[in-house]
Amino acid sequence: MKVHPARELAVALLLAALGALASGCAATAVKPWDRDLLAQKKMQFAPSPLQYSIDQHTYFSREGSTGGLNVGGGGCGCN
Amino acid sequence: MQLNAPVRPAASRSRLGAAACALIASAATAVARADGGATTQLEAATLIYGEQNRTDVVEPLLRITRVRPGGQSLSAQIGLDVITGASPTGASPSGKVQTTTTPSGNVETTSASEIPTTSFEDIRGSLDLDWTRPLGALVSPALGMHISREKDYQSLGANATLALSLLHRRTTLTFGGGLNRDRVFPIGGIVEGLTPVVATGGGGGEGVEAAEAEEAASTGVIAADKNVTSALVGVSQVVTRRWLVGLSASRTVEDGYLTEPYKVLSVLDIGGYPISSLHEKRPSSRKRTSLLASSVYHFGIDVLNASYRAYGDDWGVQSHTVELRLRHDLTGGDRWVEPHVRWYWQHAADFFRFSLNEGDPLPDFASSDARIGSIRTATLGAACGFRLGSYPGEFSVRAEYLAQWGDGHPADAVGVQRTLDLMPPVSTGSLMLGYSVGW
Repeated sequence: MKVHPARELAVALLLAALGALASGCAATAVKPWDRDLLAQKKMQFAPSPLQYSIDQHTYFSREGSTGGLNVGGGGCGCN
Repeated sequence: MQLNAPVRPAASRSRLGAAACALIASAATAVARADGGATTQLEAATLIYGEQNRTDVVEPLLRITRVRPGGQSLSAQIGLDVITGASPTGASPSGKVQTTTTPSGNVETTSASEIPTTSFEDIRGSLDLDWTRPLGALVSPALGMHISREKDYQSLGANATLALSLLHRRTTLTFGGGLNRDRVFPIGGIVEGLTPVVATGGGGGEGVEAAEAEEAASTGVIAADKNVTSALVGVSQVVTRRWLVGLSASRTVEDGYLTEPYKVLSVLDIGGYPISSLHEKRPSSRKRTSLLASSVYHFGIDVLNASYRAYGDDWGVQSHTVELRLRHDLTGGDRWVEPHVRWYWQHAADFFRFSLNEGDPLPDFASSDARIGSIRTATLGAACGFRLGSYPGEFSVRAEYLAQWGDGHPADAVGVQRTLDLMPPVSTGSLMLGYSVGW
């Protein structure tokens, strides 16, 4: 695989994400009564599945990449 | 165990428990546990999308989710995609007027410096069904299916996911897999890649020569299969009361007919002028890998949703996508605004090339489709949500501007092609109208 400058940035960001996950595992448990903010719909990674699917379809038709929060999904002759 | 927390009513405990499972597959479950009885959630949206001098799209969708008290849910989503306009053929611009023939036989001309395009129209209908049935408090399997049909393409798919909540529901693991059995049936049938296109290069395609070229390109096959197998592993983690992070990796294997049946490449003479066109040709398999890191942070009023995706495949396409959304609730919480920015960087496929040169040996594969070229995409937009008086539900409006550009002056351009921008910027505007209501 070819080497590209942006890959270093990608690795750094992914390591940061893994670090955040690891720190979460080590953190004090967030009690159920402390989850009022987390329970809000806007705290989901994709609050609107419908609009998420529209966006994925739009970008899929214009770009060469796929992959995201879900698996499978609709094929399309647009790309 | 949170279900035993003494100070919360049952409905609230259930709602809180659903929060940690934030991958999209679990969204319906979250709705389910928000109410002690069966609920219905309806969401509708219409996307109006227009590219400058190219494609226009109107895409209305409707999603309805029925949730039973135990958390079992069934979602149905139907959509329509009405597409009209023009799409690049893949041929090179030149200092001469170019003529191309559409699959239906219409002859179109393009001015000297323009990227050749061909007009088209299509309607795509789709149906998606998702079913989730929690098994106890910590395990949530889900099944989904998809069908869509358009003039020259059909997609049938099924997928399954399993979400496991661990560590007092601070961690959610998600495993998923999907299969698609798609079918391509281009107008004019399946053509052999890197064979001559009829009627190119200044109005050619006359008589016996055109007929011979057409016969050489046609395989006599009217349809071909495209199979897609995908797998996903994800983990989401509650870091603090305000912070949720996630990491998911997906692997997709495609095999079958992956060539764009209507895309062509120009063959250039030594002066850089197109003298003929060939049908493009892509490998018959593709292995894609993506890694997505997501974070949602609650500042008290504002919520920052950030993600980064790294992508690579065995065609040589690599990409990096960074996306940020900042939701700000206005007074009372009935109205909100959400600016959005997205940046996309893509490295070209190994076999991407703008054109072929006369006399050079034919490569194994070649495509000039900009979507697998070296491109950048920037998206800037904003959404707002509001309620209208005593009407139930929430309305939303989103406007976005998308710009896409690439390196249109490659080092290996020949002759007159050196003076032209082979990948001029494309601007796109979109408007999305949304409505959601539950009862």
